[in-house]
Amino acid sequence: MATRNQTALFKKYREALRNVRPGPSVAGRGGTVELTEVFSGGAQRGKGYVTLSTEDDSDQTRAGSISVSLPPAWVDISDEVSTEMNKAKSKIAELAKSYGRALMVSFDDSTGEQQTIELLTAEITRSLKKCEQKLQRLSGGQGNSGDENLRKNVQRSLATDLQSLSMDFRKLQKGYLAKLRLQEDKSGADISMGFSQQRSREDEDDSDMGFSSSQLSQLKQNEAMSAEREREITQIVESVNDLAQIMKDLSVLVIDQGTIVDRIDYNITNVAASVEQGVRELVKAEETQKKGGMVMCVMILIALCAFMLFVYIMKKIFL
Amino acid sequence: MVLVGAVRDYLNRMLHDLNGMKVLLLDTHTVGIMSVALSQSELLQKEVFLVEKVDAQAKEVMTHLKAVAFLRPTGENINHLKRHLTSPRFGEFHLFFSSFLKPSHIQILADADSHEVVQQVQEFYADYFALDPYHFTLNLPSNYLCMLPTLLDPQNTQLACDRIVEGIAAVFLSMKRRPAIRYERNSEIARKVAQDAAKLMYEQENALFDFRRSEVAPLLLIVDRRDDPVTPLLNQWTYQAMVHELLGIQDNRVDLKNLPKVPKDLQEVVLSSEQDSFFKSNMYENFGDLGANIKKMVDEFQTKAKSNQNIQSLEDMVKFVENYPEYRKQQGNVSKHVTLMTEMSRIVDERQLMSVSQTEQELACTAGQPAAFEAVVQLLNNDRVAEIDRLRLVMLYALRYEKESPQSVEQLVSRFAARSSRWKPGLVQTLLKLCGAEKRTGDLYGNRDLFNRARNMARGLKGVENVYTQHQPLLAQTIENIVRGRLRDVDYPFVGTHFQQGRPQDVVIFIIGGTTYEEARMVAVQNAAQNGTRVLLGGSVVLNSSSFICDLEEIHRMKRVERSSISILR
Repeated sequence: MATRNQTALFKKYREALRNVRPGPSVAGRGGTVELTEVFSGGAQRGKGYVTLSTEDDSDQTRAGSISVSLPPAWVDISDEVSTEMNKAKSKIAELAKSYGRALMVSFDDSTGEQQTIELLTAEITRSLKKCEQKLQRLSGGQGNSGDENLRKNVQRSLATDLQSLSMDFRKLQKGYLAKLRLQEDKSGADISMGFSQQRSREDEDDSDMGFSSSQLSQLKQNEAMSAEREREITQIVESVNDLAQIMKDLSVLVIDQGTIVDRIDYNITNVAASVEQGVRELVKAEETQKKGGMVMCVMILIALCAFMLFVYIMKKIFL
Repeated sequence: MVLVGAVRDYLNRMLHDLNGMKVLLLDTHTVGIMSVALSQSELLQKEVFLVEKVDAQAKEVMTHLKAVAFLRPTGENINHLKRHLTSPRFGEFHLFFSSFLKPSHIQILADADSHEVVQQVQEFYADYFALDPYHFTLNLPSNYLCMLPTLLDPQNTQLACDRIVEGIAAVFLSMKRRPAIRYERNSEIARKVAQDAAKLMYEQENALFDFRRSEVAPLLLIVDRRDDPVTPLLNQWTYQAMVHELLGIQDNRVDLKNLPKVPKDLQEVVLSSEQDSFFKSNMYENFGDLGANIKKMVDEFQTKAKSNQNIQSLEDMVKFVENYPEYRKQQGNVSKHVTLMTEMSRIVDERQLMSVSQTEQELACTAGQPAAFEAVVQLLNNDRVAEIDRLRLVMLYALRYEKESPQSVEQLVSRFAARSSRWKPGLVQTLLKLCGAEKRTGDLYGNRDLFNRARNMARGLKGVENVYTQHQPLLAQTIENIVRGRLRDVDYPFVGTHFQQGRPQDVVIFIIGGTTYEEARMVAVQNAAQNGTRVLLGGSVVLNSSSFICDLEEIHRMKRVERSSISILR
């Protein structure tokens, strides 16, 4: 993969030409640029200075020019979305860790872990939802054709990222859910086994029915635990549903890979075609406007005026 | 992966080092080069949010974007760039050119860059359409020039030659190798291209091509389409070739707009071996196997669709949502291949291509003049056979029996002329004049020397697996000769003094006048066998029979103009 860098040569030429370029013409050029800038809202103020400036400070003014020309407002939204997504990503990583810890068999009370998991899940779902809402906002608002196109593409790319992110999140959740169920089944089996053992012993004894206090407390504990698990599961299911909704909304935005929509040349020709179509529609609109009610109305009014005038004159003459 | 990978590497490197939102400026050629290698979603991943043609007349100023221009260094493009630079719409410009920049062009750009927006100027040699891993094309706009004598239209022929040389040079630059060059002795244009390429690689850009590699230099063999006019005239029965023959593939896109009964979302489909795994594993399969494989795919899809249908529990729902994007993608793919298959079998039925193709293959592969004559006459009389198929049959017959029985060729041509309105019978004569037996170097029908004849007989005795795909392009022989080191220096001389020592591991065969997908398949099969030699195939365009006949028509027309102008001069 050979390449050749011609930048040095280019810069040499540029340098040489700048020195050669006669002074007055540069000033003249700068003047015209500045004039146009006044009309274009001074967006390129810095550039005018570049042509005027001689050598050293050109870089500084260039930097200035970049800061002067502010990007459109939707860029902020897209930035917000990406920062939000990064946040969600780190939270997901955290969540994965907590899941791991929660699944480990531990002897102490693990409610703290459960709480963090709940908290994290809720937060991630919320931020994903927020991202999605912001994304939808990105497509709103007016803009010229190029800008609109740009915005659509930004939206698409963010949507693709968001989709894969929420996909990861859901895979993680699903994995956890499955493991949780497995554990529950096992512990359920333990309980029943314990019961049957107890029962057989009780049968042997046949002396006192009912549970001993230790058995009762164990049962209660088990019940509490299973209720806890149940709650967790419903919670996760809820967040899965939320995510499903997000997915559905996103799938409209995301490009299907490997289809004609995913071709670069198709997109370009499409833009050209849509511009052309726009022109055609405009012409049509103009025509309909000409043909339309306004002109008709005016004509009728004029005719009526003439008629009334005629009637009035007649009235004056004959009466 | 070789060629496509190289182009992708170039493009990735171009876009990778730049942070922030980017806009890509392309010209008509580079749009195609990009499109076959990268997809829109990949571009989006690299933060390229806008793609524009360099000649587009847009006005909006978007200084928050960085412009990455990837263009061929033509005068026209330089002018467009000049316009861009004098009133810059974007904050920065990064210029990449697909070929060698002239110093005068750099000067013009430097002069125009009074706002100092240009950050870098580079040459990235992705100057070819990498259709498949081992197959590239240049999409030369007026391909017929390749088959004309160079004196007829010297200016345009020179332009075409330059483009070919640039494309070939780009292929070798992206492999970082400098080849030994051989060409076909009988072809004027092949010699010209070979000499120009040698001049470029060993004299003008000697430093650039000096990679200091010690291994055996790769081989560049330049051959002429006219040496094998039979392959582009045959009907094809393997998937990719068949789609190109019947429907037409342009830069891996198939246009289905003009066909009846095609659903709206499938009016244009993409057939790329990079993105479509089903196509990748089936592109070289023959029609029958392909049908079976598509059936299998549909069955698989059906079971999946059924399992998606009965959603009863919450778990099923979760699973469904999870698999939904995958499912939708597969659905699109299935309906694409099914549509293509249906359309093709409809055409095959309509034009009776089964019987036509059988005769074609016999004309190309087995000797037997009387029987062949009978078969062609019978098909000429058949009303359901399309005109273009009849013309092809007559052409194939003429190429084969031009020497053996010229009067029967005459007879067929006049028979064809009596019933054809669209095609001029003079085309057959043009074809014979261009690609007749005395113009050819290779042994197209394997009947020149005793050894080949014997081998042909042996093959005939052995019988063939499939009547419709028994034809082997001439290229197969050439490649075999290269692999065994038996390519004759008399027929394929070296340029200059840069001879080959030892057997080459990399071979690039460039066919001036265009490749066919049949040859591409042959090369891919050859490479899959892994016998130590890797072959890349390139051409000025990718031909099918109708584009080949169109080229012939163009030549026919030009020759007539030339003849009449000469008679006026007299």
